[in-house]
Amino acid sequence: MNPCRMAVHLIFPSHLNLLANVKLLSTCLPLILLVGLSGFPGPQLHAQQGVVVSVPTLPRVGVSISGALGSGVTEIVSADLKRTGMISPVSSGSGDYLASGEAGESGVTGRLVNKSGAAIFNQTFTGKGRLAAHQFADAITQAVTNLPGFAASRLAFVAGPTRTQELYLADMDGFNARAITHDGTISASPSLNRDGTKLAYTSYKSGYPDIYLIDLASGNRTRIAFFPGINTGPSFSPDGSRIALTLSKDGNPEIYTMSTDGGSLTRITRTRGAETSPSWSPTGDRLVYSSDDRGSPQLFISSASSTAESSDMDHLVTGNSYCTKPDWSPDGKWIAFTTRVGGQFQIGVFDVANRTAQLITTSGGQDPAWTRDSRHLVYANNGHLYLLDTVSRQSLPIEMSVSGCGEPTVSR
Amino acid sequence: MNNKCRIPLLIALTFALAACEDTKDKNYTGMGDNGGALPGDTVNPGGDVNGIPPSARGNFNPNDADYQTLASDTVYFDFDKSTIGGAERGKLQAVSEWFKSNPGHSLFLAGHADKRGTPEYNRALGERRALAVREYLVGLGLPAGSLYTNSYGSDRPAVDGDTEEAYAKNRRVEIGVIVQKP
Repeated sequence: MNPCRMAVHLIFPSHLNLLANVKLLSTCLPLILLVGLSGFPGPQLHAQQGVVVSVPTLPRVGVSISGALGSGVTEIVSADLKRTGMISPVSSGSGDYLASGEAGESGVTGRLVNKSGAAIFNQTFTGKGRLAAHQFADAITQAVTNLPGFAASRLAFVAGPTRTQELYLADMDGFNARAITHDGTISASPSLNRDGTKLAYTSYKSGYPDIYLIDLASGNRTRIAFFPGINTGPSFSPDGSRIALTLSKDGNPEIYTMSTDGGSLTRITRTRGAETSPSWSPTGDRLVYSSDDRGSPQLFISSASSTAESSDMDHLVTGNSYCTKPDWSPDGKWIAFTTRVGGQFQIGVFDVANRTAQLITTSGGQDPAWTRDSRHLVYANNGHLYLLDTVSRQSLPIEMSVSGCGEPTVSR
Repeated sequence: MNNKCRIPLLIALTFALAACEDTKDKNYTGMGDNGGALPGDTVNPGGDVNGIPPSARGNFNPNDADYQTLASDTVYFDFDKSTIGGAERGKLQAVSEWFKSNPGHSLFLAGHADKRGTPEYNRALGERRALAVREYLVGLGLPAGSLYTNSYGSDRPAVDGDTEEAYAKNRRVEIGVIVQKP
């Protein structure tokens, strides 16, 4: 046995320890994980100890994993798998999949085999630091559930005291939170492009709300919309070439689209009300947004390439009088939104094909953002961010080192 | 002033204003939907839909606006509303009189919302409140080009807290006084 291989232990049942602060060891660090479907007898594993992971047929709370495993990568992967709500790390011998690998300076080499020992994948993940472990977890998730994992996605949000919130970026598990603005003014409404390389947001740096674009690799920041009135609420199109936004330059706030270099402005709405928070369909041909043209704010869909009159706007009837901040899922099937029920704000999901809406939170929430699997949402509630499984409707807090968090957005 | 003479005045002002504003925008809508109706009046359904466009940004820093001079004339709003209530209109009458007796000043109308709800909708709501106050003041004879607006949404509350009293104080348009540099 490789001398630097470490044994992995499980503790049943223990406290949730999803976010144990374990640094990725830079030295040779093999890991073994077992992944399996619950309800099936797993393979007998004598030579290798490991964390076994099961996929429940129904959403369920997974078992807890010890924070003292000695292997940072194993902890990260285990926590990521568990966070999906579809996979649970289980004890050695009871799973249907076995994940193993080695971590080193250049990343993580990960393998997944089924209970018969047949290889599912054997792949090297080269993300820096914790990212490689997240990429490995995402590959396992994809293989085991047929849904893309979101552990390697990036999370952008605002945080800090009211009046001077700054923009932050973090990993999906809350690690590596860092401020990317230090402007001491209002920063709001971040939108990440699909691969997480660019960020558009609203800043009052000029004294007025303008839209800026940040290239995250270089740190270059460009002001791209600064018309008279408000310039706010940018949203990247799926291909990243255009931004939908709210401008009030023609009077009351309306939706427009423009290219990311600030050109080719197209007006999308023309109403007596205020339109805000546009979100693109996955094919980029339509926009969903909020409008209070008919009284209280409601959700509407219209073409992303031409100007819709009020009568052309497709009203999504949710049964609630206050519906704002829609976010269209990557698979096109769902539109998550914020709604006011009994004086409290909750998350709702609109089924696009069946045109029905359901509330999916009961303890409050707003500003939902889909992850790339079209099943999980990140949302804000009272200054904290949560990850919500829309199937099981379970929410997990995303622990952050900063307070006053809001307006999350997720790269896909 | 009655409605008959308010409408041509508004049209003249708006077109004069449009001529010196953002020339990049070919879709400039000019005259607003209200045909000069005051907020709260019955709105004429004809015409364009957007109200009077905001002024181009002036040569001053919005953060330098003096909110003390007309602090007692801050206009308050109901939840999720940008309609100027009857009790608030007297304040704007007082603002228009102050403006007419203090030449050389412009006004900065800062719209705000309470913290409840999504920040982006609140930013739009604050903008509608500021534009509603601007339109009302134009109706009282003030030149639109001297009335600047901004929305801070729910990001600059007057008072902190989660009570109805705090919320009510935060749903507002503050009237700032500015001396614009030449």
